[in-house]
Amino acid sequence: MRRSRMLKKESPNVSRHLNENVRTMKEQFSYGLNKDFSMRSLTIAFNQKQGRMFYYSSTVNGEQMNLHIIKPLLENEGKDITDIVSVNNIQALTDFETIKEYINSGKAVLFVDHDSQAYGMDIASFEHRNIFKAENENVIKGPQDAFTESLNANISLIRKQLHQSQLINEGIQVGERSKNEVNILYNKDLVNPDILENVRQRIKDINVDTVRNIELLEQYLEERPYSLIPTILYTEKPDKATSYLEDGFIILLMDTSAAALIVPVNFWCFFHTPEDRYLRFLYGNFSRAIRLLCFFLSSLISAIYVAVSNFHSEMIPPDLLLAITASRERVPFPLIFEVIIMEVAFELIREAGVRIPNPLGPTIGIVGALILGQAAVEANIISPIIVIIAAVSGLSSFALSEININFTIRISRFIFIFAAGFFGMLSLVGAFLLFVMYTASIKSFGVPYFSPMSPHFLSPNDTIFRKVIRREWLRPNYLKPKDLVKKRHR
Amino acid sequence: MKGHVFFIAIAMIMLTGCFDRIELEQQSYVIAVGIDKTEEEGQYNYTYQIANPAVGSAAVQSGPNEPPAEIVTVKGSDILGATNTANSFVSKKITLDHTKIIVISEELARSKDFLGIIQSGSRTPQIRRGVELVVSKESASDFINNNQPIMEQRPHKYYQFMLSRAKQTGIIPNATLHRFFQITEGDADLFLGIYATTMQSDQKDNGEQDQYIAGEIPQRGGSPTQFMGSAVFKEGQMIDTLTGEETRFSHILDKTMDMKDFLATMPDPVKPDFRITYDYSQKQSPQIDFTYHKNKPSTIKVEIPFQIEVIAIPSLVDYSQNRKGRQKLRKAIIQRFEEKTSAFIEQSQTQYRSDPFYWSLYARPHFKNIKAYEKADWHKKIYPNAEVSVTYKMDKLEFGKMINDSKINEVRD
Repeated sequence: MRRSRMLKKESPNVSRHLNENVRTMKEQFSYGLNKDFSMRSLTIAFNQKQGRMFYYSSTVNGEQMNLHIIKPLLENEGKDITDIVSVNNIQALTDFETIKEYINSGKAVLFVDHDSQAYGMDIASFEHRNIFKAENENVIKGPQDAFTESLNANISLIRKQLHQSQLINEGIQVGERSKNEVNILYNKDLVNPDILENVRQRIKDINVDTVRNIELLEQYLEERPYSLIPTILYTEKPDKATSYLEDGFIILLMDTSAAALIVPVNFWCFFHTPEDRYLRFLYGNFSRAIRLLCFFLSSLISAIYVAVSNFHSEMIPPDLLLAITASRERVPFPLIFEVIIMEVAFELIREAGVRIPNPLGPTIGIVGALILGQAAVEANIISPIIVIIAAVSGLSSFALSEININFTIRISRFIFIFAAGFFGMLSLVGAFLLFVMYTASIKSFGVPYFSPMSPHFLSPNDTIFRKVIRREWLRPNYLKPKDLVKKRHR
Repeated sequence: MKGHVFFIAIAMIMLTGCFDRIELEQQSYVIAVGIDKTEEEGQYNYTYQIANPAVGSAAVQSGPNEPPAEIVTVKGSDILGATNTANSFVSKKITLDHTKIIVISEELARSKDFLGIIQSGSRTPQIRRGVELVVSKESASDFINNNQPIMEQRPHKYYQFMLSRAKQTGIIPNATLHRFFQITEGDADLFLGIYATTMQSDQKDNGEQDQYIAGEIPQRGGSPTQFMGSAVFKEGQMIDTLTGEETRFSHILDKTMDMKDFLATMPDPVKPDFRITYDYSQKQSPQIDFTYHKNKPSTIKVEIPFQIEVIAIPSLVDYSQNRKGRQKLRKAIIQRFEEKTSAFIEQSQTQYRSDPFYWSLYARPHFKNIKAYEKADWHKKIYPNAEVSVTYKMDKLEFGKMINDSKINEVRD
């Protein structure tokens, strides 16, 4: 009772007196101080009443406002405001709380004298980039477009690929101070209602001031914020998002991010790219085999080198052994330190390469070649084989382009190197085993991380390798979709 | 509290870890070990040939006068113990992980002490099972010092290529340490060690190919080291040497040894002044049937399938184009092989009273347990009295790329 009174006090209803409403509005939006908050006075033609329209000049489409609101109001005759104004979405509003939300989300609100309701009109037009090519998830064969920072554009990119009425786009508000909208996309006929409810609930449970974009939302949604293992897939490609929708996954979109989140996920999702399916069976699987190799090379090659050369020199063929020994004779550091120097150097180049301003870009190449190359060897800081090891491990990490798994690998690589430095192969194998065991224990929205391989589920078996596309007639059962079997091509 | 436990756990891992960590450049890699007798009882001279990593490495320019290997000899009582003594003048830790061969002087191999010394080789994990046993005619230290290969200067490469090629042609046996212990402890059969020398003495010039042991091959130029024939070990002690040809027969008769093919010559059956050169190869392993009789001699039937490609017929006798010729050649080859093999087997039965073919393997299934097998006594009873019959079966007789020889009459008119 008390709470509702307080609410009422906070958000009074629209009054019949225009002046009172105008005063409330000016107060609420700090009119005059807030430069782009605008008020337009006009006399409405058909009933000759005074009207006041409020909006943020920066977020509405001026042309649309002139053409579809102001001009009709000033000139046209009719019975009702809704008949006269020709914008596509007009809503009668009665309390100031909603009015506030409307204006904040870029719409215009019209108050009319002697009218106890206001009219919210959707002419919002936030600036955003055009749709460009995907920059981080490159494919050679396949659609090139990428999400952009506009919800409408993003949904349009998805609907363009999936012509289905079952595709639902649900909105949920998050944030206490700035209310932003998270859109949940799913296929009504496929999605597992438990998972959907779980996602909804988690979004609703987010109790913070603002969630500005999807990248922050990802961190609010995940279960284990300290874990090395990601549990939500992030993609900038609408075709990737759509392919997951088709299998009963859930997509999250926000107006402010050029990417979508996909839940729930398993390990393989991070390992795949959409191109695996666009390429023909053998080609796609070949590229997956390479990527699997890269996964192991990138995470283990430096560690194996440390383990073998520090503890098990009998494993190295004599020619190579003598070559390494000869080149190491002049290097002042222990071998493990040498490896770490190079790995850190590579990470330096990588981090600097991402941050460096475009005009300075080429410098990175020159400096990088110096550190990771002959100059370092000639300075007797490292031995030549380390250059190869670091280069292989660095290069392979690029093959795992998914940014989350990329970091997982790059960080776990250092863990493995240290593990190898303790007891050689013994501790390295131990560390890797623990890593796999921990990973297997992870669940993403209730889905085991290594499913459908372990535990086994009926699924198209799209794990390390994929089947021929016409033999994929099941949807992944680890999601428990409403409809497991696809239409079969015979 | 939780923090303390964590700290202690980390400290324990850090302190106990790395305990056997050693950098590559802190080790010296021994490629060959030589063992010699000294005057003192229980003391032996150990010679280590240590590879110089800088030689042959593209990354590091070595001094022009650096030798490819450093050879040191120290006195000690066992292989590993002596490495520590050697460290008084070798700067790095001596590691035997990459040892390719162990060279034993013939003097030591023939002594009773040999088994005791080589025993320590099986105890340490540093010496691999695959290390080859080489018996040198001279002292092992002389052998290693005199062995100066010209092309493959780096010792590990030299031994690798030298041994693998010689083994493929069958002139030296497969003589790993593992096999040595296997045969010696099985208390049956003879172990064949590789026989080699750097001393060239009493060269034989008898024309017959491969009836040499190391040191007898007439040679001009090249490296002075010869690997040829084998040293016969019975019960862990060397008793005799075999020539290259005899070693070959052991290869042929032994299923556990691997030989590719070899070139050999024989007298031309039609014109005995000339010799025919052929390439012998064996695609299938021989068939060995062993029948055990308790109170009378056991029988061993051996059937050897083989193939011949005739390479040279300097007598220009036309064997290839007529059936009779082919038949004659075929018979002559088979007969020669059978005669030689039978003679060799007989020698082993009477002289060695054991076999270098690892045939006890086929006798073992005939006994209920090890005791019964040991009681039957391979060395003393079964093998020396066995009736052995060897048959060669020629699968294929080829005459090479060009079947016809030049017609000498037409060429010279």
